[in-house]
Amino acid sequence: MVKALRAFQMYLPNNPIYQRAIQNVRSAFGPVWAATDELHLHVGESDLLWEEHSVYHQLNKNESLAWSLFKDGMRELTIYKGAEAEELPRLLATINQARFLPADAGDDLLTLLWALEFEQIKYRFIDFFSEAGGELPGPSGTAGGSASAEARRAQVAQEAAERPKGVVELEEVDSTLYFLDEEEIGYLARELEEEYRRDFRGSALNVLFDLMETQPEGGVRDEVLGVLEQLFPNLLTSRDFRSAAAVLRESKLLKERATNLRLEQTQRLEGFVTRLSEPAIVGQVLQSLDEASSLGLDEEAASLLRELRTSALEPLVSWLPNLSSAPLRQMLEGVVDKLAGSSINEVQRLLRQPDSPALLGIVAICGRLQLHHAVPGFTDVISHSDPAVRLAAVQALGQLGTPGALTLLDRAIDDPDRSVRLAAVRGVGTRGYKGALRRIEAVVLGKSSRGVDLTEKMAFFEAYGSIAGAAGLKALSTILLQRGLLKMKESPETRACAAVALGRIKTPEARDLLQRAAEDKDLVVRNAVNRALRGVAS
Amino acid sequence: MTQPTEGAGGSSASEGHLRQGGRSLLLALYTALRSLKIYPLENATVQKSLDDLDASARALLQTEVELEIRMAGDFLFVNGTRLRVELDNYASFSHILAMLQAFEIGVLHVHSGMERREWQILLSLLLSVSQQGETDERLEVLQDRLDAAKVTHLELERAQAEGGSSEESRHQAKRVYAEGVAVTRDMVSGIRLGRGPRLKRVKRAVQLVVDQVLNNEMSMVGMTTVRDYDEYTFTHSVNVCIFSVALGRKLGFSKVQLYDLGMTALLHDVGKARVPAEILNKTGSLDEREWRFIQQHPWLGALTLFGIRAYEEVPYRSILVAHEHHMKMDLTGYPKAIRPRTLGMFSRIVSVADGFDAATTRRVYSTTPIEPDQVLKEMWDNPKRGYDRVVVKALINLIGIYPVGTCVILDTLEVAIVAAPNPDTQQLNRPVVRIAVDADGATVPLPGNQVSLAEKDESGAYKRSIVKVTNPSRLGLTPGDYFV
Repeated sequence: MVKALRAFQMYLPNNPIYQRAIQNVRSAFGPVWAATDELHLHVGESDLLWEEHSVYHQLNKNESLAWSLFKDGMRELTIYKGAEAEELPRLLATINQARFLPADAGDDLLTLLWALEFEQIKYRFIDFFSEAGGELPGPSGTAGGSASAEARRAQVAQEAAERPKGVVELEEVDSTLYFLDEEEIGYLARELEEEYRRDFRGSALNVLFDLMETQPEGGVRDEVLGVLEQLFPNLLTSRDFRSAAAVLRESKLLKERATNLRLEQTQRLEGFVTRLSEPAIVGQVLQSLDEASSLGLDEEAASLLRELRTSALEPLVSWLPNLSSAPLRQMLEGVVDKLAGSSINEVQRLLRQPDSPALLGIVAICGRLQLHHAVPGFTDVISHSDPAVRLAAVQALGQLGTPGALTLLDRAIDDPDRSVRLAAVRGVGTRGYKGALRRIEAVVLGKSSRGVDLTEKMAFFEAYGSIAGAAGLKALSTILLQRGLLKMKESPETRACAAVALGRIKTPEARDLLQRAAEDKDLVVRNAVNRALRGVAS
Repeated sequence: MTQPTEGAGGSSASEGHLRQGGRSLLLALYTALRSLKIYPLENATVQKSLDDLDASARALLQTEVELEIRMAGDFLFVNGTRLRVELDNYASFSHILAMLQAFEIGVLHVHSGMERREWQILLSLLLSVSQQGETDERLEVLQDRLDAAKVTHLELERAQAEGGSSEESRHQAKRVYAEGVAVTRDMVSGIRLGRGPRLKRVKRAVQLVVDQVLNNEMSMVGMTTVRDYDEYTFTHSVNVCIFSVALGRKLGFSKVQLYDLGMTALLHDVGKARVPAEILNKTGSLDEREWRFIQQHPWLGALTLFGIRAYEEVPYRSILVAHEHHMKMDLTGYPKAIRPRTLGMFSRIVSVADGFDAATTRRVYSTTPIEPDQVLKEMWDNPKRGYDRVVVKALINLIGIYPVGTCVILDTLEVAIVAAPNPDTQQLNRPVVRIAVDADGATVPLPGNQVSLAEKDESGAYKRSIVKVTNPSRLGLTPGDYFV
């Protein structure tokens, strides 16, 4: 039993060592039951006695099973055959629970065992009645007071002779009064079940919110606020996010509904959401949520996170990529979208924070949510030192597609990073942004000194076709079809790019030019032309 | 001196088997009784229920030499093992208890070899004889007819007259009550001084109340008649705890549920610790401002309980009951609820217990207590009181129409204090009483002579009947004296 207690202390019930400890206790009772059907132990401070012999001795109170029982008042413990199967492990678990309770805890071994209702274990505790409890006094005095028997008899006779009003006759009440019928039993069962299913925290919190509203006295409101301030961290600790969300919601509501709130009280009401929205605290909540995501708390958590202030946007966005729970991430994305959509100033502020861990995420959100008002914030982002940020910015600007966004995209065509350039060129090409024509044309017509690979070159030509349209036919025709002395003037790769660009123009003239090159000797060009023709036809 | 506090228990692994088998037997007995009452004997339902009953008994008799079904108070034991009452078997237990009580059967012995035919005869006779004759004759009539029908494997024993509660139970009840009052006093005084309560002690006190109610309900309910023992707030809290736990038991709550309920009940008026003492203790009626203070105690209690946390979780359930115990079913009453709220079951029970005890008690700011029977009548009849009718019904079921402690004048011109409801639910108007003043007006030494108002003389007429409920103080009587 002692070894089992140690295992109970160190391991969780699903641990194999814990399980083995239970098995060992069960096995250890085998020889005992061979000799007797019941093990009756007297509990001393340091000993357990069986038939007046010490069968356990431990002077060190911290380690002593006997002391664990003795200190809470147990004096006898009887274990009957069969208890080791199910009840003994529960007893040991309870002893283990009780031994580590602090002195001011609301429970001890006696109060914990009381609820267990063992059938094969009996115990006896010392008399618990406290000295302070005392005894009830005896009877108050001589029954009947000081009146004489004769006077009392006359009084009784007079009262009895009066019309006996007030006597409740059995017939007066419905005969079913004395029994609960099936329907009533069903009602009680349902109501009792409901009592235990009741959201008692939520209901108790409503008491506080009602008081804030109905009791304008400063003292009461201050006390309520004090209770809420003390309670709020505990709600988060216990992962009661629904109740925590209610505190945030109601705080907002109370600022409007509670009359004559003092400024300080209003600030305290605001304090809940302000504090919770602090980056460090949001981070803790998210970490806790991520760890508990298997517990199915996501919806309750969402209700809490939906209440957060804009200052929570940065930590929320920063945390998103790190979350391991896919449902939580999905839920958080929804929260973030809502928050970002309703607080453009915060979004712009974050876009101007080059070192913010949320920058990349915010940039992407701007594009995904089409936050057009955020475009001015991209001026700095587009020249951020990290190419990954610039790339995200270019992609977002392409999605935004406003004139301001396209102006910034145009600038990105000259970005030193190839992937950024590529994205910028594709962006302006997709949008057909004419403002970018000068930079695109410079590359297409070979006036740019930059060295580009085929993919990038192709992107520039595609963009050129899309942007220049019919105005680009001449230049592209020259590139595709102009012959030199012995061979075509341009390389097959450049001619193929021109063919693709013509395909983007989609006019009859462009088709004619392409058809003229359809039987080109160069396979690369021929393939590109044929693809472009198919595109034009469609 | 040590006081044993034992775990519920039995002495061997067979108890589990007995408990389960016993419950099946009781359920089969109940089903067969109901079937026989509704259908003719040849009906298939009746036949099947008799088969089931016979099978249940045989299953138990395979391991037991004989079966002893014993009634003790409101408990049923099978071969010494107490059968637990739960909501799902509440009806069957209640019915069989009532049946045994109506016949004054204390023990039913079922010997090995009991035949199906004998069950059928027993049940038929129980149903037919219960419709005729007087209570004290029914058992003889039943026994004679069983003998005539050659039912040999059944033996009936008359119940021992309990007459309220035994001396030992009363002594234990007194100690539990005193401890409850002391704990409440300590708690309320602590709150007045800004100190948290010692929750462990409060829990133990409530556990003791639950144990005592489970062991001897009436001894504990009788203690609620003790008045002027201590400050009203303390005794009232304990009384409400006792009534609530006893009610919960009547309603089939489990032991742990009774504890939960008892805790909320003991703490329900904790807010009064913050009502100015001069208002709480004011003699005479209260003015409007003072009433407003009194009406604050529910939410003051809730606020106070929010602060009682120490090591453990906030006592939310107690907070709700403290806050809601003056709310009516339609959420009127006080305090005013603004946000959506459903009155919890515990709040409804505590509300009924609180209403009954408060109305029957003389408080400093309430001039005269109302007689218990009138309080019950008002609670039952007047929907404006806003109580849950099923809970009120259970309260009446618990304490009878003449609750324990009621002072009554009898047609013999004797004066008596009600000691216990009549165990026969057909005779709730004929409780067990203690004669306090004899027909000549002379006082009877405490604790009075105990008699049942169901007793009859040779001519078949009742020896005594209640003609009036009276105010005991007018006759110089203190009902609580008859319980301490």
